[in-house]
Amino acid sequence: MTKLTRRAALALPAALAMPALARAQGRTEITVHYAQPFIYKDSYDALVEGFAKQEPGIRLNFVTTPNYEEGAQLLLRQAATRQLPDLSYQAYTRLRMFAERGIAQDLTPLLKAEAADPAALGYTPNLLALSQFGGIQAGLAYAASNPVCYYNADLVRRAGGDPENFPKDWEGVLALAAKIDALGDGIDGMWFTWSGDDWMFSALLFGHGGTMLNADESDVAFNGPEGMQSLKLLERMVKQAGMPNLTAVAARQAFAAGKLGMIFQTTALVRGTVSSVGSNFDLRTTGVPVIDPVKGRLPTGGAAGMLTAKDPAKREAAWKFLRYSTSAEGQAMMVKATGYLPCNQISIDDPQYLGAFYRDNPLFLASVKQIPISIPWYAFPGSNSVRVTQVMVDNMARIVESKATPEQAMADMADGVRKLLPRRS
Amino acid sequence: MSEAALATRRAAGWGEAATAWLLSAPAAAAYLLMLLLPTLATVALAFTDYELGAAAISWVGFDNFAELLRDAGFMTSLRNTVVYVGLVTPGSIAGALLLALLIEAGTRGRTFFRAVFFLPVVSLTVAMAAAWQYLLHPTIGPLNAMLRMLGMAGPEWLSSSSTVLLSLAAIGIWENLGFNLVLFLAGLTAIPRELYAAAEVDGAGSGWERFRLVTWPMLGPTTLFVLTITMIRAVRVFDTVAVLTQGGPNKASDVLLFSIYEEGFSYFRLGYAAAITLVFLAIVLALMWLQTRVLDKRVHYG
Repeated sequence: MTKLTRRAALALPAALAMPALARAQGRTEITVHYAQPFIYKDSYDALVEGFAKQEPGIRLNFVTTPNYEEGAQLLLRQAATRQLPDLSYQAYTRLRMFAERGIAQDLTPLLKAEAADPAALGYTPNLLALSQFGGIQAGLAYAASNPVCYYNADLVRRAGGDPENFPKDWEGVLALAAKIDALGDGIDGMWFTWSGDDWMFSALLFGHGGTMLNADESDVAFNGPEGMQSLKLLERMVKQAGMPNLTAVAARQAFAAGKLGMIFQTTALVRGTVSSVGSNFDLRTTGVPVIDPVKGRLPTGGAAGMLTAKDPAKREAAWKFLRYSTSAEGQAMMVKATGYLPCNQISIDDPQYLGAFYRDNPLFLASVKQIPISIPWYAFPGSNSVRVTQVMVDNMARIVESKATPEQAMADMADGVRKLLPRRS
Repeated sequence: MSEAALATRRAAGWGEAATAWLLSAPAAAAYLLMLLLPTLATVALAFTDYELGAAAISWVGFDNFAELLRDAGFMTSLRNTVVYVGLVTPGSIAGALLLALLIEAGTRGRTFFRAVFFLPVVSLTVAMAAAWQYLLHPTIGPLNAMLRMLGMAGPEWLSSSSTVLLSLAAIGIWENLGFNLVLFLAGLTAIPRELYAAAEVDGAGSGWERFRLVTWPMLGPTTLFVLTITMIRAVRVFDTVAVLTQGGPNKASDVLLFSIYEEGFSYFRLGYAAAITLVFLAIVLALMWLQTRVLDKRVHYG
């Protein structure tokens, strides 16, 4: 055992600190926040490794929160106490609030300084639009997802369907789901993830070509014919296809156990679904049925990096990491580690980045094919933006439980959301 | 007594008081910092429109409380909490008492049964909720599989608005039973054996008579304690709701603590959340007052 004299013990921390001090002179340390480490950790680990080779002078410290909700809380608290991290990856829907409260910084000048046309770096207008809120470029998209349909090919076959030619419209999907439902033995036909938030409702609404609010955001617009059709479709899932009343967790478990024909949910769950299904059955994915071939769109979920650093040196370092994480190279790492969609056009177009990955993992392709019709997930204005989504979910629950007609639910939904919109003075 | 002697005694009294203050200072400081100040801050917040991250904060008087009265969501959550407490309290007390009597009357395996029923208390609710989620699963859960074997269609326990509160209450009873059981067992051992012998001499021969005349009255203080503690624990229900139902469907399982969490941490309306917290605090204080003032007088302390 080594003996430490008192003097040596006192000198030890100083000695240890010396090289650190020496090193620190050419170094910048930044703090980066991201949510959902159980999904994203591998991707950031890969990024850190690649980034260290490129920028050895920048040291990254990470702060994580279990979910986006707590991530937004953390940033709001730290904004109040002036302890913000330098860079934070937030859900698209929360970005609007950060832009409106002046916490997110406008990235347009930084982008322009690098390239006159950001598309040359892979930031096409569509991808930039995902994180444009409050009139500024509030972030750069890091990971994207859209809703897809997961189906059990074995059950489709047993019900007399053809898994190779999965129906392309809701008519066909509902009919097939009804047939699977009729197999009995506790098997259900389909489940649509209507609970949780407004994301999947907007998939139906945008699919019909509708919008949440009117153009100047002064009043609701989802109560028009498109929204009405969406709620009627939800009702038909229950009445026509026998959609069971399940919580999202229960539905995923039933699907993994081979007791559910199809489930409509985010593509971000492909990796998790593959591992929970294992070899239980032949798992496939496909796009969600197209509703309006011309106007139909789909919402995009995921996260964007938001710059919050004030100190110029830290700000520059944080920007460098944000750029790296959203570059073609960084996006390829992110996709391979998570299964989300890439947010850099170069990594989508140039097969050297992800060509082999998609060849080996065809289940991820369903979402890639939907990129052309994907638009930003709508974030409501004002401080009630999250509360609005709960009003929608609560009213959809009434339809799923057959406690209200789509007409009644729509009237209450429009009424409830109207009350939560910011008042114009 | 001389002046000098009095002065010495006064000095000694001062010294004693100072020592007392010094000794209780850590506890007093902790109480002040960790309990009293946050509570007062909550009270103050309840009268503001503070939103997390908002630049401005303004005094709104009783606006938050007026909104509570109009808020259908809050009323549902209050009603659900009352129903939940109304189911869990009698369920877990009667069940625990029955089990305690059975275990006490038995000759074997007392420690075993005590441990078995106490397990839910020491296990992590969040982890146990996952197990319940599976047990109550509408299609692949064992409970509904059993019902199907009997030719019955089981309900969607946790996702139907008509059964969700019942299911949560059943889990709540399971959670609280063991704790109450241990308290009752302790209460039972404290009853002097001679009382039973005396009751028998007086002609109270049957088990029911002995229970009615000796056990039940002697368990009075225990029962009172169990009653209050169970009610307070039941009002505090949160974990199972947050993990299993998130208050759904359509607020059918929304409870007070979950409303506070949602308003405060999902919607960032800290002022409004503080107002609900005050309602919650008032309920808990009322229960404690009920214990100390009203019921205490009626309970026979042997």
